[in-house]
Amino acid sequence: MAPRIQRHGLAVTLAALAVLVASVVAATPAAARAAETGRRGGVLLAVIGADPPSLDPHQESTFANIQLVAPLYSTLLQIDPYGYPKIVGDAASEWKIAPDGITYTFKIRHGIRFHDGSPLTAADVKATYDKIVSPPAGVLSIRKNAYTEVASIEAPDPSTVVFRLTFPSASLLNNLASPWNVIYPKTYLDKDPNYFKTNVMGSGPFKFKAYTRGATFEGVRNPDYFVKDRPYLDGYKFFISPETSVRAAAIRSGRAYIEFRDLPNAEVEAIKKQLGDKIVVQTTPMTGQFGIAINNAAKPFNDVRVRKAVTLGLDRYTAGKVLYGITGLKLVGGLMRPGSEWAMPEAELQKLPGFWTDAEKSRTEAKRLLAEAGYPNGLKVVLKNRNVKLPYQDFAVFAIQEWRRIGIEAENRPLETAAWFNDGQNTGNFELIIAPTVEFMDDPDQFLGRYVTGSTQNWGRYSDPRLDDLFSRQARTLEPAERQKLVNELQKVVLENAYYMPGLWWMRNVVHWAKVKNYVAQPSHYTNQKLQDVWLSED
Amino acid sequence: MSAPYPLVHATASAPLGQRLTVAEEVLKFVRTKPLGAGGALIILGMMLVALFAEALAPYDPYRGDYGLQFARPSVDHWFGTDEFGRDVLSRVMYGARIALFVGFVASFAGCTLGGLLGVVSAYWGGKVDLILERLMDVLLAFPQLILALAIASILGPAVQNVVVAVAIPIIPRAARVVRATALSVKENPYVEAVQALGALRRRVVLRHIVPNVMAPYIIMLTAQLGGAILTEAALSYLGLGTAEPTPSWGLMLSGSAPSYAEKAPWIALFPGIAISLGVFGFNLFGDSLRDALDPKLRKT
Amino acid sequence: MRTYVAKRLLLIIPTLLGVASLVFVIMRVIPGDVTLLILGGDQAGRIDPAQIAAMKRRLGIDQPLLVQFGTWLWGVLRFDFGTSLWSGRPVVEELLIRLPLSLELAFAATLVSVLIAIPCGMLSAVRQDTWVDYVIRVISIGGLAIPSFWVGILCILFLVIYFGWGPPLEYTPPWVDPWANFQQMVWPVVTVGYRYAAVTTRMTRSTVLEVLREDYIRTAWAKGLRERAIVVRHALKNAMLPVITLIGTEFAFLIGGLVVTETVFTLNGVGRFVVDAVARRDYPVVQALVFLIAFGFVIVNLLVDLTYAWFDPRIRYR
Repeated sequence: MAPRIQRHGLAVTLAALAVLVASVVAATPAAARAAETGRRGGVLLAVIGADPPSLDPHQESTFANIQLVAPLYSTLLQIDPYGYPKIVGDAASEWKIAPDGITYTFKIRHGIRFHDGSPLTAADVKATYDKIVSPPAGVLSIRKNAYTEVASIEAPDPSTVVFRLTFPSASLLNNLASPWNVIYPKTYLDKDPNYFKTNVMGSGPFKFKAYTRGATFEGVRNPDYFVKDRPYLDGYKFFISPETSVRAAAIRSGRAYIEFRDLPNAEVEAIKKQLGDKIVVQTTPMTGQFGIAINNAAKPFNDVRVRKAVTLGLDRYTAGKVLYGITGLKLVGGLMRPGSEWAMPEAELQKLPGFWTDAEKSRTEAKRLLAEAGYPNGLKVVLKNRNVKLPYQDFAVFAIQEWRRIGIEAENRPLETAAWFNDGQNTGNFELIIAPTVEFMDDPDQFLGRYVTGSTQNWGRYSDPRLDDLFSRQARTLEPAERQKLVNELQKVVLENAYYMPGLWWMRNVVHWAKVKNYVAQPSHYTNQKLQDVWLSED
Repeated sequence: MSAPYPLVHATASAPLGQRLTVAEEVLKFVRTKPLGAGGALIILGMMLVALFAEALAPYDPYRGDYGLQFARPSVDHWFGTDEFGRDVLSRVMYGARIALFVGFVASFAGCTLGGLLGVVSAYWGGKVDLILERLMDVLLAFPQLILALAIASILGPAVQNVVVAVAIPIIPRAARVVRATALSVKENPYVEAVQALGALRRRVVLRHIVPNVMAPYIIMLTAQLGGAILTEAALSYLGLGTAEPTPSWGLMLSGSAPSYAEKAPWIALFPGIAISLGVFGFNLFGDSLRDALDPKLRKT
Repeated sequence: MRTYVAKRLLLIIPTLLGVASLVFVIMRVIPGDVTLLILGGDQAGRIDPAQIAAMKRRLGIDQPLLVQFGTWLWGVLRFDFGTSLWSGRPVVEELLIRLPLSLELAFAATLVSVLIAIPCGMLSAVRQDTWVDYVIRVISIGGLAIPSFWVGILCILFLVIYFGWGPPLEYTPPWVDPWANFQQMVWPVVTVGYRYAAVTTRMTRSTVLEVLREDYIRTAWAKGLRERAIVVRHALKNAMLPVITLIGTEFAFLIGGLVVTETVFTLNGVGRFVVDAVARRDYPVVQALVFLIAFGFVIVNLLVDLTYAWFDPRIRYR
């Protein structure tokens, strides 16, 4: 590892670890018990809220896919299961970054085998990443844009993979630790790039056993896993149930041991009350933010004063108090997660519109701006929303009530997911629309790409050359402090112009029986799902 | 098919004995159908609450008191408060409005449209009948809730759209019933004779067919009222009914209410009682009305 | 009779054609883009239009609507309902996975409801406007008044709060493990069956009432026959036909019950499958399921009508 990068990595790790230790250890006895010796055997029973659209993580971006299939695959790198956001190897045992910062050389571990017995080599890694970075015609790659800096991928020998970049990238390692980029065997990919939509062939700690749509998904222990004596479990089984109260009841009755994504606080309290010490609740901050996209391209929000008024009208500090108990939305922050290394310092944040600590002052200013913009008697707007109960509806209820106080009458219009996507992303047919941001880790490239001109995630349809420039510069800035400045600058431009209004950052409750050991909930419900170290203290 | 109902003619509308005044009719209904009268009482209560919600409701149903989330029922908040600190009693009262609006408008629109189609179909017969009947067949064969669901997703969630979604599946059912009655009227020798005498088409329809289909129409109408309110609740449960923060009973019952069923059971209990009581009232009344209007069920 | 049957059979064709067209049109009118939904996952996806276009091509939904409609109809004629846009598996295969559960639920609920409803309905009719009638009616009308999803949710909560017990999460067919099956299905069956029983009780009551007013029953009364003999020998026999009809025509009602109940209890059945497919804009699945449900409905109704025609010759000469 190049010394410079190592320093970077260390600084990042320490900073983040400090944050994480503060927030996680307090809440998670599991982390402390990581050192206990594991017990072999048992099947981990879990509940999950949705069916995966397909089994291919390369083509999906929902927890419903990754939580089910992550244990079946290996990735090149991964986020340390015990030390978010440290990057450690998975299929790669070590890596070197050339001093110019544009050549990354990965050594692939020996002895990794796919579940059909064939060895995992550099050629498979290359084939996998070629498909993601430069997909052949007719093959979809939804994460292509995260790898624009990658010029070529080579496999000079079976245990070496070389990534060559067009510019030094600050986020490449993070992106190579993406839980979605599972390694597929080249032979299968060559035959049919879409094979993995309905089939599984990985090299992970578990082998695919069975999947019944709408009901269950099962994996069984891979005895030939490349990490010795792992996994501990004989297998895992997910029960698929979209109804939150049914999932909570399943945990309470012991029909399932864990819910990996999130359960509402009211359910968590009830479970805790009934089962006491038998239950562990890991509450962690989450790399997800609930905010509202503002349509900058149409009246009335093409006027910066009106945009500022709506963001000023939302008292985020009260929101955090009111909504936390019912939705898990809690932390006030900018565009990077508060508490993460990239977060904007609080003092700076509180100077920006919508983040003033004095709510009355904000409301007075909002009314003044509305009057100035030609709406002295307020205005009527439609807030489009997704017809998912938590936290979409509750967040809207709160925002609407807040806006009434500055004279904005907003009508909540929940749409089915398909229509919501369509209006938000495709047609831009909305005034305000609830648009959450969820990524797998606190990485500026992942979180800030959406503010760039023409990004498909830029639902607000604004274009500011300053943002484009700042984004591209921060992506190439390897020095963390330097990058932090650019990241802050970019956030300020977005927030000062109210191009988009962030709401609150989410908290995540992972509820499990105490007998489930060695699972540390991370700030993302996409990561740390391999289950290779998880064990059950009793059946 | 024989005539399902004895014919009524505008010229001789009281075939059995002397005419009763409205008050006497009501009294007779109360005396012979105590259950129906009970139902009517419930409906009346609901209507009064809906009408005077502003005056009766102690709080603004939309306004949350953040200091009072999940407050237990008390003197200040008889039905407690919900997760935003909104007064449940006030929301239930305003909810009566939405329920009645959805119930009445949807079943009225559905039955009336269906009834008109039924009369047209029966009277004109021939190709018109054939085509309309096939259309009704198609709508009938379409699973009812799926149809409502699809319409609700096309129109988007708003009270008036929910009304449409609930009303459309009622149309073919009403058309069926009304058509059958209208057909038997039309084929009645008396009506045929009137027609042969050269009565105007409009006159035949207005004076002979319409009065005779009124009984099944009203029965259908009352029967659908309760159902419409329940369908709205089901749509809310499936995420396609009225939208927050509208105080609709169905919505208050679904959404995140089940998650609070243990912590704050009053949040869903009272709207649950309201909905059940309302539908119960409509069904009781409808049932008894049918007993009273349908001569075949009348006790002799 | 033969012409009547032929006529009725012919009439099925336009109905089914109409359902096929209606469901096709409705699914295309519903806003929302299935490709965006598939690609977007649970975050607002970073998907470029070229990929959406490629996906559309792969799913075959980039073709003109008329072509798509033609393909779908032609498939239906050959009993080929296409493949799910989401899972890529044949719709029929997906349906067969879910069918046993829904059939069991429907069958058991019908059985429960008939066992409760017919005696209650008859009693209520025979004792019209007495307290027995009132009690039965209040209970049956009350049963209809409570939203079924609410009953379901309360069932689950009650069991888990007071007994720490929840129903199994996975469907076990009755022939594999009857006890596990019973534990899972009993509450959904009660939830559906109760409402269904309420409907059937009301209908039985009014049919029996009608029959009791018929001339021959009055004659029987006049002849001085005992009440039991009249009710059982005459009224019941003649009322059964309409009641059986009712059970047939309430098929649609049952489907609605399945949709909600399967969602509440998260049973992997046909009802939930349709609702999910509508939300996911899985066109072939919705089209196929609605078509098949309509087909079932039409066939049941046809059988009912034919039975009627068999018993009542006046009908077939109309």
